[in-house]
Amino acid sequence: MSRVKQTVNFLYAWQHPDEIADEVEAELSFHLQMRTHDNIEKGMTPHEAKLAASQSFGDFDQVKLSCCEIKRGFPFDLRRLRMGFYIAIACIAGGVSLWAVNIPHHNLFSVLWQLVAIAVLMRAFLIGRRHNRPHSD
Amino acid sequence: MSKAKAGLLQGTLDMLILKALALGPLHGYGIGQRIAQISGDELRIEEGSLYPGLYRLEQRGWIDSEWDLSENNQRAKFYKLTRAGRKQLIIEEQNWERLASATMKALRAN
Repeated sequence: MSRVKQTVNFLYAWQHPDEIADEVEAELSFHLQMRTHDNIEKGMTPHEAKLAASQSFGDFDQVKLSCCEIKRGFPFDLRRLRMGFYIAIACIAGGVSLWAVNIPHHNLFSVLWQLVAIAVLMRAFLIGRRHNRPHSD
Repeated sequence: MSKAKAGLLQGTLDMLILKALALGPLHGYGIGQRIAQISGDELRIEEGSLYPGLYRLEQRGWIDSEWDLSENNQRAKFYKLTRAGRKQLIIEEQNWERLASATMKALRAN
């Protein structure tokens, strides 16, 4: 699924919570119908089959609620977004630093800006390296 | 191992769902059936826990879904593996093999 589709789905889930709940309910109901049908084929009465299907499924409302919450959850990795934020800050700081270097008379202000830019770049590099390291389970 | 005691380790459900979908698109009920089938009926997914798992995988972009007609002509939501999901399945399989081999090594140690 593309990032665009993930974003559209996320926004849709927030704008139309009732439609999402109906969709989840339809999907879970289909599961129960299929299980009931299979139970009848195994020799249960329709009533027994429905009861057994419901028992093997568990708490229908709780599952529905969990699914709706997941659907409304933020679809992107917050750590990566934070890394992007640091990189953006580093770029801005770098740009300002270059501008400060071009000031005819070097002063304390430009030196300070360069130090801040270097510190932010180092921080962005370290965070990026930490998040790109493979996870060990 | 008795079937009643064959519970799933944490994180295994995701891998099994991805594996089931690697064989072709399926609806939620079919995924549970396929997992039971490919495990020789040794693994039974708790039916209720399957759906939050499916929604999580879809959120991560590893599977995609669309509504279609099922084999008995009812509307059902079908899931399929995305390219990212296929890559993730390879990673999960490698991790699983490493874990299983390390555990066996530990169990055989004197």
